[in-house]
Amino acid sequence: MHELSIALDVCRIAEEHVGAEALARVTAIGLDVGNRAGIEIDNLEFCLEALLGSAPFGSGKPEIRRLEGNELSVTYVEVEDDDGS
Amino acid sequence: MTVRRIDVREKVMAKNDELAVQVRDRLHAHGVPSLNLVSSPGSGKTSLLERTLDALGARVRMAVVTGDVQTQNDADRLAARTDRLVQAVVTGGACHMDARQIITALDEIDLEYTDLLFVENVGNLVCPASWDLGEDAKVVIFSVTEGEDKPLKYPRMFECSDYCVINKTDLLPYLPFDMDRAIAYAREVNSDLRFFFTSALTGDGMEDWYQFLTALARAEGAIRA
Repeated sequence: MHELSIALDVCRIAEEHVGAEALARVTAIGLDVGNRAGIEIDNLEFCLEALLGSAPFGSGKPEIRRLEGNELSVTYVEVEDDDGS
Repeated sequence: MTVRRIDVREKVMAKNDELAVQVRDRLHAHGVPSLNLVSSPGSGKTSLLERTLDALGARVRMAVVTGDVQTQNDADRLAARTDRLVQAVVTGGACHMDARQIITALDEIDLEYTDLLFVENVGNLVCPASWDLGEDAKVVIFSVTEGEDKPLKYPRMFECSDYCVINKTDLLPYLPFDMDRAIAYAREVNSDLRFFFTSALTGDGMEDWYQFLTALARAEGAIRA
């Protein structure tokens, strides 16, 4: 029921790690989600797809690893870098 | 263009958990024990608190932070029964309360003059289990109209609670509710649960609850999560 607020927290964590100006270049956010974390994983994925596909993000995708247990964490953020810079 | 991977490894609830530690530290610094009341909607959380405030208000200085999804109704009901501060958090549709709301509410409560703090959470047996509010313990209210198998259907809430109040016992003669099965199911999920059996309507069984609260309030911070 609270997957959207979890998804917003995921976005906040991503911003803390890459900086606001890089959000549009985020290509993926990796998450570990346990089956007992109190999260409807499909719903979380839907929320993240919506958030990561619109401003300030560009075309990011959630990459969720489903685990046993209570885990709920962001494991990585992938950012596309301009090699020319 | 190349894709760079940044390792994060951060718990999504880390921010809330950090704030919950601040709440806990602040309450313990003032010696104020705290209970987070959780349940499905309509189990009698507000009624239980109303009767508790009536019965113990003269001896124990209790403060209540209520969370209501859309109205001030719970806060109004409680405010009518105590001159101790009742803080309402209207969650604006959210299904749970978080530690940040408690920090804000604590700013309005004179902790030096508070012996016991209740948080009346949003009625919901799923989401509030995920948010640590900095309380000493969760109390799950389980009414006999809900069916014996609630602990099995919502195990996380019963697992993370230390106490279980089985409420509306005045209705037992009219219901097929099997108390032994309900207790067995709850123990299956959490063998350490301590039970209270109450009717917040008639007052039946409330004495045990009052004794527990009175002892808790005087033994400053005796239970720690």
